[in-house]
Parts: sequence; C-alpha cells; structure tokens
Amino acid sequence: MRRAFEKYLLFMAVLLFPLHCLGAEAVKFKHVASIYVDEKGGSIRLPEGVACDDKSLVVVADTGNGRLLRFTFQDGTAKGGGEIKVPQLIYPVRVQMNSKGEIFALDGKERRIVRLNPEGAFAGYVEPQGVPEAAAFVPRSFKVDSGDNIYILDILSNRVLVLDPAGKFQRQIPFPEKFGFFSDLAVNANGDVLLIDSVAATVSIAAKGATSFTPLTKEMHEYMDFPTYITTDKRGMIYLVDQNGDGIITLGQDGSFQGRQLSLGWKDGLLYYPSQVCMNGAGNFFIADRNNSRVQVFEMSR
Amino acid sequence: MKSRYTIFPLLALVFSLGVIPLSYSQDNALKFKLKPGANGKLCLNCHVDFQDKLKKTFIHTPVKAGECTGCHNPHTSSHGKLLAADTGKICLTCHKEMSRPGDRSVHKVVAEGGCVKCHDPHSANNKFNLLKDGNELCFGCHKEIGATIAKVKFKHNPVSKGCLNCHDPHASAKYGFLLKNDVPALCVGCHKTDKPIFAKQHMNYPVANSRCTSCHDPHGSDMPGILYNNVHKPVANKMCNQCHQEPGSATPLKTRKSGSDLCRGCHNDMINTTMGKNRIHWPLLDKEGCLTCHNPHAAPRKGLLKDNMIVVCGKCHADTIKRQERSETKHPPIMEGKCTACHNPHSSDSVFLTNKSSIVDLCGGCHNWQKHSTHPIGEKYKDPRNKNVTLQCLSCHRSHGTEYKHFLYYPTTTELCVQCHEQFKR
Repeated sequence: MRRAFEKYLLFMAVLLFPLHCLGAEAVKFKHVASIYVDEKGGSIRLPEGVACDDKSLVVVADTGNGRLLRFTFQDGTAKGGGEIKVPQLIYPVRVQMNSKGEIFALDGKERRIVRLNPEGAFAGYVEPQGVPEAAAFVPRSFKVDSGDNIYILDILSNRVLVLDPAGKFQRQIPFPEKFGFFSDLAVNANGDVLLIDSVAATVSIAAKGATSFTPLTKEMHEYMDFPTYITTDKRGMIYLVDQNGDGIITLGQDGSFQGRQLSLGWKDGLLYYPSQVCMNGAGNFFIADRNNSRVQVFEMSR
Repeated sequence: MKSRYTIFPLLALVFSLGVIPLSYSQDNALKFKLKPGANGKLCLNCHVDFQDKLKKTFIHTPVKAGECTGCHNPHTSSHGKLLAADTGKICLTCHKEMSRPGDRSVHKVVAEGGCVKCHDPHSANNKFNLLKDGNELCFGCHKEIGATIAKVKFKHNPVSKGCLNCHDPHASAKYGFLLKNDVPALCVGCHKTDKPIFAKQHMNYPVANSRCTSCHDPHGSDMPGILYNNVHKPVANKMCNQCHQEPGSATPLKTRKSGSDLCRGCHNDMINTTMGKNRIHWPLLDKEGCLTCHNPHAAPRKGLLKDNMIVVCGKCHADTIKRQERSETKHPPIMEGKCTACHNPHSSDSVFLTNKSSIVDLCGGCHNWQKHSTHPIGEKYKDPRNKNVTLQCLSCHRSHGTEYKHFLYYPTTTELCVQCHEQFKR
C-alpha cells in the first residue's frame, strides 16, 4: 500500500513539474521613468540611440537635435542631461560606450563612426586600418564588446569588420549567402556575433572565431514586423527591437522565441517606432522611443 | 522473337484501359444499386439538355463512359452541383500529376483547384476540353498582358502563336513563371547565339549566358529588339562600355565601378542631393546600390524600376504592404502603388523618408480639408498623451492602415477620443 502511494506521489511530481523552468525565463518590463528633456529643459527630438554603462551613465543620441545628451540614472530618476555637440557629428543614429568611458556614435548623414573622449570631446573617426581587401566600407551599425573591440556592419562589402580598440583590422566575417537586409549586429558575452535581418526577420550567428554565419532562427514574421536592432544580456538572452511593430522581442540563447513586450502608443510605457535599446547593471532597460521623442526606462523582472 | 515479348506490355495496357473504367463503372452501379443497363442513361432522362454537350468534339472520358457518378453524388452532397467532393479535389482523383509539392511555380488556378476556370468538365469543342481556344483563354484572366500584346509595335512571334510555347499551363517543376525551361535556355532554342548577327546586336559582349529578360520583354514591346519600353540611355545609344569594361577585355561584363559609384558618373547631381540629406534609404549604399530597385539596362516601368512599387518596395517592406492589405479602409496612393506620393525612395531629412517635413502638410497635399478641420492639429498643439509630440494626422490615423475604419488605431471613435479626452471615458 505504502509503495503504491509512493509511486503515485512520484508520478504526480513528474506530472506537475514546471517544465518551463528548464527554458529561458520570460522577461517582463515595468515602466520606471521617461526622459523628455535635457538639463536646460529643452525637448528631446526623435532620439534614435541610447547607450548605458554598468553603473549609472546613459548617453542618448538626440538625433532630431543633432547632439548627444549625457544623463545619470539612479533610484528610478534621470539626472543631468548635459549636451555633447561637436561639428563632426551631425546626425547621431546609434551610440555605444567602451569600458574607458569613450563614446562612439554613428553619424547617419555622413555614415561615419565618431569617437569622443569621456568628456565628450571629438577624438577622431573610427577608420579601419589594414583592411586587406575592399577597403571602402559603409557602416550601417556597429557594436563595442567588453574588450573594447569594435564590430562594424559593413553593408557595402557584405561583411562584419572586427577592429581592435585602436581601429586596427583584426578579421572579417562575410554575410551569409542569402539575406534580405541586415540592420544591426550584436556581440554576446561568449564573443559570438549575431546579425538581425529586418526583411527576413531572422537572426544569424557566427560563433566566436568562426569565419561564417549560420542561421540561428527561422523566419519569425509571426512574432514581429520589422526588427531593426539586436542586443544581448549577460545570460545570452537576445532582445530585438521591432521598429514597425512597436515592441521588444525576447529570444533564448538558442534563438527560441520567448516573448513579446510593450505595444504601440503615446503614453508612458508604450512605444512609437522604437530604435536603439540598452541595459545597465541595475536591471534597467532603456529604449530610444524615436517617434515619441523620449527615452523610456523599464525595470526588467523575470 | 523480340516482338513477341513486346506485345505483352501493350496487351496489358490495352486491357487495363478497357477494364479499369469498366470495373469502376460496375463499382458505381453496385454502389448506387442501379438497374442493369441504367448506368449512363438514367441521368439523361431528366438532364435532356445534356445531349447537346455529348455532341461536342471533345468529351471528358467519364462523361463518354456515362460515369456521372464518378464526379457527382446522385442523392446528396455538401458541394455545389451535387459534386462528390470539393471542386479542387475531385479532378485530382484522376489527374494527380498536374502539380506536385515542391514545384517551383504553380498556376494560381491550379493551386486553388479552379480547374473549371479553364476546362469544361463535360465537353468542349477545344482540345483538352478547354473553354476557349489558344491565347484567348489565357487573356480572359491575364487581361493586361493580353492588351499589351495586342497593341505593341514589335511582337514576339511565339507569343502571338500561343502562350504554351513558353509556359506550362499547370506548373513548372524547376522554373519560375510556369516556364518550360530556364532563361536563356528557353530563348536560345530559337535565337542562335553563335551567329554573327547576335554578337553584333549585343556590341560583341558575351551575353549568350546572360538573362535575356533583364533587357528584353518576352511579350513584345514598342522598342526595336523588343527591349523593355524604358531603355537606359547608354543601352539605347549602344554604349555598353560606358558602364562595362571593353568587350575584348578579360572581364567584359564587369562594371567599371561598383554600387552607386558607377551611377554617379552620369547621375552626379541626383546622387549628391541624395547623399546630402540627413536620412538615406540604406539599400542605396549596399553592394547592390541603385540596382536594388532599378534595372540598369531596360525596364517595363518608368525610372527603370524593376516592377511596380508595390512589388519593388514590398520586397523589403512586406509588413507595411500587408498592413494596407489587411486594412478595412484603403489608402489610395498605396493601393495604386504610388509610394513616392508620400516618400522619397532615396533620402530625406525626415523620418519615414517623407517628401515633406510636416506630416500635416504632407497629408494636406491630398486632404485639403485637414487644414481647416475643427480639431486642432499642427506644431502649436501638444499631444496630451506625450508632451514631446504635437498633434498631427498620425496621432489618430495610421497612414498604411489598421484593422479599423479610417485607419484609426482603435475600434471605435469613442475609444480613440478618450485617449486624450479622458474626462469622457466611461
């Protein structure tokens, strides 16, 4: 009788085991704050870029005003908003920071990556040195990894250029043979390079050191409209910005669909053609909410 | 000796052809417990007008055999005309091979099971029981192409003789557009590429293996050599070497420069203007450059566009085109494929690459009443939902459509209005 009862308990335990625990944990966003103005009360206009470090620094590409803004975000509040405006950066559309606090911004008009020192002064352009062939390149996007290496999405020569922190050519990874249009790339904590194809709604991956990309996902049109930005967190979770679908898509490390967050709207907590996103060490998720002319901050919970 | 053995398979074939329909008809006679000899005659007692059909030149085999119950159920049916199954499936019970999974291209009517759109299931005076003879049948649906073929100055002889010279009416296992063979293999079947005239016409460039349809309209055109009606000036002037390397060089088909740098040679002003804007259409700067949307030699559309804008723009922006298709209210410029009515396909200083910086002015180009509408819109009026944006047309309407009327974001006007006028929320 006792053995039968034990067997029954074991059976029920197996039956009721929450299998979803084995998969990636679903992420949920809770709106914390929105950044609308600079330190002088001037409105942000059509921001397309946002970058943050692991502490409290947040740099916003205030695209419509042709400048960068520097904030600190602590205890649910954004402070500062000092302007960084240099003549070499006319129309910032993407922004990144390296471990030394240097700021990198892609100028959408000049199609050049500008390097600024931590104080915001112009420190030169990122000009790849020693590229073996097809020296000309057009950066559609770029990323800086934890080792300060620079990865450029070169749409002219269909490749990802990998440069050392000084801009010296390290290697290149050709785009896959068939693709629609790559809008962005990401480098995860393992050093794998990921590409997002906006047209096909697919993610491709080149494992660390690999010389080619392979598909990580199938076409994901059922989950998104037109993904234009990709980033990863420290656990390897992938975040896609669905620009036309006004949402954030989360994928597991293996490319499996995990969920969709947020939706179209104008009020706080809603998105209208979002652009770039970033995450800081405190679990805050920043979204350059382009057509809402603001940056929104969300708290991530699992 | 040999002929003695080959006769057996033939005998088997003849036997099976005779016996299978017979056994099938016996099956149906048994199934419906028909009186002896009633099969094939009983139906005609009522359907007397059917006698006329039986006088036509080509009669469908089951009809000829009096096998009405092969397709129809004499008692009840869930399908029209008392058919025993759905129209899409019933023909396939015998004609399985019309298309197969994995075919490169399948005629839409075949895929949809619309066999009777081309064939009369009983009888006809045209071969294969076709409703009409030759191209007349095809042009019943493909009206635009029929009209073009009729009026073009330079006709392509095989097209005039029959569409089926190049196309398979049902499906093509390996080729697009239901073609019987790939291009140029299909073309070189008639056009001999080793003749001196061929080389002369193509300025001695080795184009024998190139895709003919990138320059020539296979259905005929108003241009000599049936080039597409819009010919790029260097091609019309036979100055291929303006863009390509010399025909006698090691790489004659290679272009002198790549991407938009090549086009800049002539279209310098346009490219400078394009590059001078804040926002560029990124594909313009990729490896394909201008050729993402334009054909460099000749094209059926103005501006050497590869196809109409719904197709060209929709190749990448399928989500936007689909949104319009799903929309309850249609926006005429999109429906008519006039994307450039609102957008500059090359570059702009505005988001969405719009032709005007102000959305109110952009929409006002067609919707004049918007400018004196009672609801305040424009730069002066802040959106109550967001202090950094002002009220404009897109505050309430999504220009490419929504699932609701008038491109509204919400199902009812009330739901839309209370987004801002919260005091009226119930």
